[in-house]
Amino acid sequence: MPLWLAVPAVVSLLVIAGYPTVVGIALAFTNSSLARPLRSFAGFDNFVAAAESVAFAGSLLRSAVFAVLATALSVVAGVAAAVALDARGGRFGLLGTVLLLPMVTPPVSVGVAWKLLLAPVGGAFTGLWDALGIAGFNPLGSGVGAFSTLLVMHAWQWTPLVTLLVYAALLGVPAELREAAALDGAGWLRTLRSVVGPQVAPSVLAVAVLELVIAFKVFDLIVVVTSGGPGVSTTVASFEVFRTAFRGSFEVGTAAAETLLLGLVVGVVLAVAGLVTRRVRDADR
Amino acid sequence: MSAPVVRAFGSRAVLAVAAVLALAPVLFLVSLSLRGVDDISNGGWLPTRVRWDNWPAAFDTVPLARMLANSWLIALGATLLTVLVAVPTAYLTARGGRRGQRLYSVLLAAYCAPPVIAVLPLYFLLKSVDLTNSVLGLALVDGLANVPVAVWLLDGFVRRVPRELEEAGWVDGLSVVAGVRRVVLPLVLPGLVAASLVCFFLAYNEFLFAVSFAQSPSAQPLTVGLSLFQGDRTVQFGQQAAASLVAIVPVYLLAVAAQRLLIGGLSQGAVK
Repeated sequence: MPLWLAVPAVVSLLVIAGYPTVVGIALAFTNSSLARPLRSFAGFDNFVAAAESVAFAGSLLRSAVFAVLATALSVVAGVAAAVALDARGGRFGLLGTVLLLPMVTPPVSVGVAWKLLLAPVGGAFTGLWDALGIAGFNPLGSGVGAFSTLLVMHAWQWTPLVTLLVYAALLGVPAELREAAALDGAGWLRTLRSVVGPQVAPSVLAVAVLELVIAFKVFDLIVVVTSGGPGVSTTVASFEVFRTAFRGSFEVGTAAAETLLLGLVVGVVLAVAGLVTRRVRDADR
Repeated sequence: MSAPVVRAFGSRAVLAVAAVLALAPVLFLVSLSLRGVDDISNGGWLPTRVRWDNWPAAFDTVPLARMLANSWLIALGATLLTVLVAVPTAYLTARGGRRGQRLYSVLLAAYCAPPVIAVLPLYFLLKSVDLTNSVLGLALVDGLANVPVAVWLLDGFVRRVPRELEEAGWVDGLSVVAGVRRVVLPLVLPGLVAASLVCFFLAYNEFLFAVSFAQSPSAQPLTVGLSLFQGDRTVQFGQQAAASLVAIVPVYLLAVAAQRLLIGGLSQGAVK
């Protein structure tokens, strides 16, 4: 196999991973501005600044909580939809395509759509709020409300990926297995739990890890829907890093230190998720 | 009622709810885009009177036409670059034995990191080659950033090409590269189309790099344009809805037109 086939891959990896890592570390230990990077050595000053930043300190935990809850929500909803598709039988067809559309919607548009849908004036539910006696209710008005609403929006967009991949895995379960279970007198639910479930469990876990990765990247929704507020209640790490670097203060060094810490947290969470996945997969064998 | 009847009814009910949930926010946008200011503040799901003036108005408020063109240029350029890199790379990961496996793992690891980590370094890189505020710069970054996704999807397709077919080609005097082009590529074409579509959607929908690297409207894609409506205090719901739909409609049309390829590519390529 000619070695030069690897050149495009190596160049790509250098640009999107190798170079950013090296420069990111360099920026984190130096003073920089957007106009002039790497001006002077700063030791750990940037990390101290990151740790002292009120908005950033909580944002790492917020990102992790968001990622885990968003994953749980999309996996549960996606598996339910996949099982329903499987129980209905027949082809994926038009209905399947409709279910997939949220996934291809630009996240910025998702944010706009949901924000308008939930608007306290002119939104789709103003009539319902009136009827319930909570006229002018704004789900984005409180910290918990805004955080939960963003979770729902994100899950709305990324549940279809779970539906599709788990449905594909369900189709891959050999028909003989289900028939054998039926012959043994197992009902639909029992077959699902004891025969089909274990067969698709590795796929479900793999999709869950993928969803975790995607949820850690959430950024567009935050910018469009809440700008991190109210207060800092929806300020996830990606958004805070962006704000530190490009909005207002332009503290490049601090932002770089923050990205390193974010990378560390994502790495740890994914490593744990990977470990759990491998455990379950090995236990199956 | 017997159990199968309950199950058939239950599964259809779940799917009906899911379909309504999937469509409702976007259908509400359609309704908003056809309503005047008063009609919107009165609430409700449907226009009392349909009017189209939000659509041209949205194109005046921000340079939507320019941004739509930028979005397409960025997404097409990025997809082309992704494919050019991903085809030889997926061949390596699928056929390259242990080294191929290692390359595959490194690519997936690169995909796992939140892209915000790369934003500052890439900003300085683009600036040093004068590619900030540039459609070309964004196409390059998006194109390379999507390589791991394309390889992830393509790898499974290449693996399913029988080795014997390639070996027969080699016996007939084809080089490895010619074998990839004439034997492997035609067989993985459905996967390649699906991967291209997914990468097109990712580049078209991309926001973080665009908002960080393109400050001038001449290079900004639609996603950035949509976010600009937010800064406006005098928010025009109708215009905002129309502008969002301008971004959504092309991807929905593409997704529906290519549904079978897309679903086949995603589900076969990804489940391993």
